[in-house]
Order: sequence, then structure tokens, then C-alpha cells
Amino acid sequence: MISRRKFLVLVTAGAATIATGKALSLGEEKEKYTSELSEYKWGMVIDVDKCTKCVTEIMKKEGIDDIEKVRPPCIVECDKANNVPQSDKYYYSLIRLYMVKETEDANPLVFPVMCQECEHPACVEVCLTQASYKREDGIIVIDLHRCIGCRYCMIACPYNARRFLWEDPKELLKVVNPEAPVRKHGVVMKCEFCLWKIDRERAENKEPKPVCVEACPYNALIFGNLKDPNSEISKILKTSKVLTLRAYLGTNPKVKYKLWGD
Amino acid sequence: MGVEVPKIDFKKIDGSSPGYYAICAIWLIICLIGVYAYYLQWIHGEQLTGLNNQVPWGFGIAAVCYLIGASAGSLIVSALSGVFEKEEFKIFSRSAAFFAAAMIVAAMGAIFTDIGNPANSINFLIHFNPTSIFSWNAFLYSSYFVVCVVYLLAQFEDKKFLTRCIAVFAVGWAVLVHSGTGGIVGFVYSNDFYHSSLTPPLFIVSAIASGLGLLIPTYILTFKWTKREYDLDLLWTLTKIMGAMVILLIYCFIVEGFEKGYMPASHEAFLRMITSPETPEVYVYWIGQIGLMLLALAIMLSPFRKREWAIMTASLLVAVAVFCERYTLIVPGLSYPYEILPGYEVVKPFHIVPYYPSWTEWAIVLGLFAGAYLAYCIGIKIFALLPEKAVKIEKGEVRK
Repeated sequence: MISRRKFLVLVTAGAATIATGKALSLGEEKEKYTSELSEYKWGMVIDVDKCTKCVTEIMKKEGIDDIEKVRPPCIVECDKANNVPQSDKYYYSLIRLYMVKETEDANPLVFPVMCQECEHPACVEVCLTQASYKREDGIIVIDLHRCIGCRYCMIACPYNARRFLWEDPKELLKVVNPEAPVRKHGVVMKCEFCLWKIDRERAENKEPKPVCVEACPYNALIFGNLKDPNSEISKILKTSKVLTLRAYLGTNPKVKYKLWGD
Repeated sequence: MGVEVPKIDFKKIDGSSPGYYAICAIWLIICLIGVYAYYLQWIHGEQLTGLNNQVPWGFGIAAVCYLIGASAGSLIVSALSGVFEKEEFKIFSRSAAFFAAAMIVAAMGAIFTDIGNPANSINFLIHFNPTSIFSWNAFLYSSYFVVCVVYLLAQFEDKKFLTRCIAVFAVGWAVLVHSGTGGIVGFVYSNDFYHSSLTPPLFIVSAIASGLGLLIPTYILTFKWTKREYDLDLLWTLTKIMGAMVILLIYCFIVEGFEKGYMPASHEAFLRMITSPETPEVYVYWIGQIGLMLLALAIMLSPFRKREWAIMTASLLVAVAVFCERYTLIVPGLSYPYEILPGYEVVKPFHIVPYYPSWTEWAIVLGLFAGAYLAYCIGIKIFALLPEKAVKIEKGEVRK
């Protein structure tokens, strides 16, 4: 029979080992190196006027009143390409449309809101396991093998841009895109600027474009390298007035909203 | 000539009566129901909860905060004799420390059962994120358990100086652990309801209140059922400490409420949360949190306050009220959507999402509580945690 003393010593030693292991991992220094990704800083400018036109036309054509039921091509194609499950119970689409008005009878403005790919991302700051991290090209990525599904990142995100997979996505997917990650339930997902696509296109020396940008019939979404002064996005940012969502928080998003025409 | 130091005889309980086994069986059954609910959640995912993408935290996280608080509160009670030299409370020091250890294990269980991908939970330990307050807390919780056990061990070995040193350290660690837990919520700057520097100190106050709220009735019933002589005055002193904490809590709620209500950006949300019956939070706030605390205070100030039933009722009311407080801290800030596009009069979609915990969430949380109490019941049988007599020991009195 194990003595009381021995029992307690064993319990303490076991727990101390875990705690010490945790403390020691603090000292681990990661080797820093830069890859070719550091030459890029991906960003997006969204033309709100064009988005508004597209969405209001769909609403009129299909007789929809509820902004949440509108599915413009950017959302439809994004969902398909990124293996986003379609559920009646939960909203999983990585892009969410917001319709705002100055007054009830004013003309509406439509803002598609997805992950804002912040320069100082709150989600990365709070992630327990560093499953959410910022790539060298500025894209915030979720490592699905590290994500424990605690949802703290969703709480911290100022843009409500993250979705938790409450159900098994495999049962809700009609078609699977093998190039994009297929997730299991219990993890968090978000827009990652279709990094599986832009990485491939970059390797193929093509101009990388996320799926939503290609799908937009109005060319309302401008995607590009903010580090390249000659890129279209850099030129727009130099000459246009743009809006940053919740700029006062200091997260410094790389998705900007262009409210006024040229 | 040496000063005679009061010595307390701690003894295991007999634990052979049918009543003892019946109590253990009840805890075990609740525990097993919790295990079954968790099994279903493991298989079918968190769709079995009442949570959604707007309210991704709910009952489970409220339970995490509560259990950690109850643990920190218990440890502070345990350390009253060691740190504050209140020798009369030494009779509680072992059992309260054990209770604290059981509660922190239950709290870690609540985290484990709330996460969506428990198969990856080892990443808690492997990938530390220094900028995440939750990541720091994972370290604090596991080390806090070690501190509780070491403290208990020092008491078993009757090492007085060591016990006192560890008691001081343990109280400091408990304050750190609970402030850290408050920081998990209070440091979230994206949500006006959450963001508050008052949250970490408020968590400490709640911790002491809830720790005492659970311990006092536990002690009364344990002493009664194990036929131990006990001094109600000692428990009344603990009740008074709990009452002071409740007053402090109500003061903090008023300050916090005025602060939230003062800012035009959040006052509509705050007023709606405390007045509109769109979500159950309004009832949890007024009946569960404020109502029960005021009722407990009324009992503590009534002429019957020193009666056993009054002390027990007031304590249980405080224990429940603090849980409701944790709930209103977590849920309303999510139920009421924050403004992504501030400055516009009309924003759509704008949903106030009511959150109702599902039976699986209730079962898992109650199962964890039952687990902690089952551990306590077993603990008092196999370890000498309880004093033979729970009465005030006068200086100079030596017990053999």
C-alpha cells in the first residue's frame, strides 16, 4: 500500500514536471530566417460603391430583403473553393455582408467584411498555442494541427471574422476542393486570402488573386502587394481616400474600404 | 520556558456509514452523466451546445472562471492561519487546501471539455505564446495545483515554518492565478463589455466570496454528518468576511455599470442588457446576480444571522450569485453585437443573439462540480484533513 507521503510526493512530482516543462518551453528561441515571402505584403482595397451596386442589384432581381440571404459571386465562389460548409444552423461563410445607412431612408452602403489581415492581429496575440500566426507576407493563418478550438481568437477578433466549425464539415460539403484545407469540426477557420491559390500562382509567376477577387463581376476587390509601389493597390492607396474598420483599436488592418469614386 | 503552541488533531473520517456511500454515489452518478454528455459532445461536436459564431463562449467558460475563483478563495481561507496568523482558522487549513486543489482540477477539466479539439490539447504545453494571457494562465493553473499539493504536504508533515512560507507564496500565487483569469476577459479590447481593468481585482473579490460560499455549507454539513463538535462562531466569522466581499462586489458592479453606461457608444447596449427581456441575461443579472446577493446580505444582517440555517442559506446564495456574475460577465458582451462599422444609424445584420445553455453544457459543468465534491468526500476519508473538533483553540491549550 502506497503511503500518504509517497502518494503526495508522486502527485506533486508529476504536476511539477508538467509545469516545469511548460516553463522551460519559454526559453526556446526560434531560429529566425526570412524567405521570399518577406518580399510581399498582401492587402486588399474594396470599392464599397461597386459592392453596393452588385448587392442591391441581386436583392432587386431576386426579390430579397434580408442582406444575410444575399449571396453575391464573391461569397459563393469563396465558399466553394475554400471548402466552407453550408449549414442552416450556423453562418460559416468567410465573408459577411453588412448594409449600413446614415438614416432609415438613406441610400445603403454594403461592406463585405472578412478577415482584415491586421498588422497587429488580436487573434495572434491571444492564441494559446500559436496556432494563429502571421506569415512573412502578412497573411494571418490558422495551423489546424495546432488549433485546440478554444475560440479565444473569436472573442478577441474586432471584426467577427472567424468561424468555429460546430458541425462536421464533411457532411455539409457537396464538393471538395483538394487544393484547399478540409477541416474537421472543433477548429476555427477564417479568410486567408486563399493562400493555397496565391502561393501556387506566385510560384507559377502569375499575378496572384484570391477567389473572391476573380469572381467579382465589378472588379470591386483590388488585391496586391503593398510592398510593391507600382502595384495597383499601392497606387489606389496613394490617390484614394480609404476607410479602415475600427482604426482606433490600432490593429492596422490591411483590408481597406474605398468609399468615394475616383 | 517555551510557549505552548496550540495543536490540532486532524483525523480521517470513518466513512463506512450508508449515508457516506449514498453521498459518494450521488456525486458519482452526476459525474457519470457529465461524462456521458461529454462523450456525446466528443462524437457530435460542439453543435450540441447552445453556442454559435456570435456567442462562442458561454456556460463552460463561466464555469472555468467560477471554479478557478472557488479554488483561489478556498486557498485564501486555508492560508488565513499561516499568513494572517489567525490561528483559530487553522482547523480549516488542510481541508480548504485540498478543496482548492480539487477545484483547480475541475477548472482545468472545464477548459478541456470546452475546447473543440481536445485531441490537440497537448499543444497547451508544447507551444507557449508569451503574448497570450490565456497561455500564461495554462502555466499558472498547472503550477497552482503543484503549490496547493506542496502546501498540503507541508501541513501533513507539520513543518510550521515551511507551511507559513508556502502559505504566503500560495496566497500570492492564488491572487496571480485569479488576476490572470480576470485578464483573459478584461484585456479583450475589441469588446466594450469585456474591456475593463476592474475585472482582475473584481475576480479576486468574487473568488473569496464564492470560495467561502461553497466552503461554509460544506463544512457545516461535513461536521454535522461526521458528528464533529464545531463552533458556529468561527463559521460566522467566515460569513462576515463573505458579506464584506459581497458589499465590495456590489460596489464594483455599480462603478462598472456607470462606466459602461456613461459612454454613449456602449450605454445603449448596457441598458438593453440590464432591461430588455430579449435574452435571459436580464434575469440572470437582476435575479441571479444582484437579487441573490442582496438577499444573502439581508439574511446576513437579519436577527437570525447567526443561526446555522441562515449562515448556510446566505452562503449558498452567494455561491450561486457569483456564478451568475461570471455568466453575465461572459455572455452579454457576445449576445449584443459590437459595432464593426460605428457611426451609422442603421446597421444590418444586427442580431441580439439569446444564448441558452444546452443540457450537455449543464451536465458537463455539474459533472465537474460533482467530481470536485466526490474528490473531497474521498479525500476526507483517506487523508487526515478534518480536525477532530472544529472549535476555537485557546493559546496554551495543548491537545494530545
